[in-house]
Amino acid sequence: MSERRTIASALAGSALTGNEGFDYQPVALEPDVKVLKIGGQSMLDRGREAIYPILEEIVAAKDQHKLFILAGGGTRARHIYSLASELEMPTGVLAKCGGYVAMQNARMLQMLLAKHGGIYMLPDDFEKLPLYFRLGCIPITSGMPPFEYWEKPSALGRIPQHRTDAGVYLTAEVLGAPRVIFVKDEDGLFTDDPKKNPNAKHIPRISAQELIEQDLPDVVVERVVLEYVTRAKHCKELQIINGLEPGMLTRALAGEPVGSIIYKG
Amino acid sequence: MSDFLTGDGRTHIRSQLMRESLQDRDVIGSTHTDAELQIMPNVVLISIGGQSIFDRGRAAILPVVDELVEARKAGVPMVIGVGGGTRVRHTMSIAADLRLPAGGIAQLVGAMEECNAVFLNALMADHGSLPMQREHFWDLPLYLNAGLLPIVISVPPYHFWEPPPDEGVLPQHGSDFGLFVHAEVLGMERIIFVKDEDGLYDKDPKKHADAKLIERITLAELLADMPAELILDHTLFQVWKDSRHVKKVLIVNGLKPGNIARALAGEDVGTVITKEA
Repeated sequence: MSERRTIASALAGSALTGNEGFDYQPVALEPDVKVLKIGGQSMLDRGREAIYPILEEIVAAKDQHKLFILAGGGTRARHIYSLASELEMPTGVLAKCGGYVAMQNARMLQMLLAKHGGIYMLPDDFEKLPLYFRLGCIPITSGMPPFEYWEKPSALGRIPQHRTDAGVYLTAEVLGAPRVIFVKDEDGLFTDDPKKNPNAKHIPRISAQELIEQDLPDVVVERVVLEYVTRAKHCKELQIINGLEPGMLTRALAGEPVGSIIYKG
Repeated sequence: MSDFLTGDGRTHIRSQLMRESLQDRDVIGSTHTDAELQIMPNVVLISIGGQSIFDRGRAAILPVVDELVEARKAGVPMVIGVGGGTRVRHTMSIAADLRLPAGGIAQLVGAMEECNAVFLNALMADHGSLPMQREHFWDLPLYLNAGLLPIVISVPPYHFWEPPPDEGVLPQHGSDFGLFVHAEVLGMERIIFVKDEDGLYDKDPKKHADAKLIERITLAELLADMPAELILDHTLFQVWKDSRHVKKVLIVNGLKPGNIARALAGEDVGTVITKEA
């Protein structure tokens, strides 16, 4: 029988089923990019009242920072997940359909920022980011990672594990940005849902590991993101800020520890 | 009655998940059902190994092609995947030497298996094969109803968004995983991995003469005692645990004539890994 014709390399012949002993600190592709997530339910579903002021802060900051904006989903995504659950659709179908909402939201932001250089970007154009920054543009895209039908099923339920928090975090990680900013409608992390429990206490700073160990019934970011922060090579801080409070985004972009920070311990 | 609900500054659409946190375990649990739609339960997914078959060239590939074509003529609806083989390993070695991040490596590797998909397609085109692009996902029923042989992408589109690996820097969502999820999301029950060994061994038979073949094993048994050197991605088994539809994964030796035909005809050949005991 014919032999395998292999190219000599450090991995030749390997089954590639483990990490094969490869570990190093990877290069940062674009470490000075500020990756921002504009929340779906928390910001976009509030309409003009929430979005216009935050866009003003973005426009004011655009010449000092390379801003990369990603949009969340929100109530339409919830409606999709709810209907899809009733129809007993598999998780991959939910992931595909949920992605449409974040795409719409990104397009809305692009229309509002077009006159300031807002550019709508598809995942396939990821490698054009340096061009957009060089031209002084503000690239805007969906926060959903492109996993779609290839999203993993979960043991419990059928809501995709990787939604827009995960997509935004992974974007910052691969770019090599040390911090990612999530703009939501709360001051960050609380001991319980502050919308339901008025006694919930604010947590200004906590390690991802600690948060995982607390095993709260509900958390402010997608659970997989906490896991990924513990494995981060670059993006070791996730900052959650209240976009309804004027000036918060500007301060966060200046490096101030406003809101809550979840860090790699 | 309005379908919208306002009053907290946001405009909601009424739904079971309205205003809920999708991180809340109770909310997530409320979307659970035991029955999940099986979109294409009668289709078999068959993956042709890169290192094990393609890298051996003509002598290994042509007999595999013949068996695939014959089975399709006999009426077996199948979706075909391919591995990238030694070129994937070379890509990763160079990319790792350049200190590229996991997402960067994941972005690169798919190109190498696409070449094998093109080769396979050229060999089977006259019998109705075609490479399925990601954008044509929902054309699959059309292809299968027309008796065609779709060759799908194997590396999943995680690309730059590859999650940080739990160890090291090499991407953990490779072609075995990608094909598994492809089968699972469409509700397929059987996956056949065509390799150059008779199945799964307790250790790598290429390195150990005393390696023992495992003919039949359950997923739970395998997860409880994973061989250090596996013939398939670890990630596949982790995900299978949480899956609903895939019942059997077969690992068959494509170098032995007749194995593929038998496996496609529904026989248990090689190593059979089952979800349930």
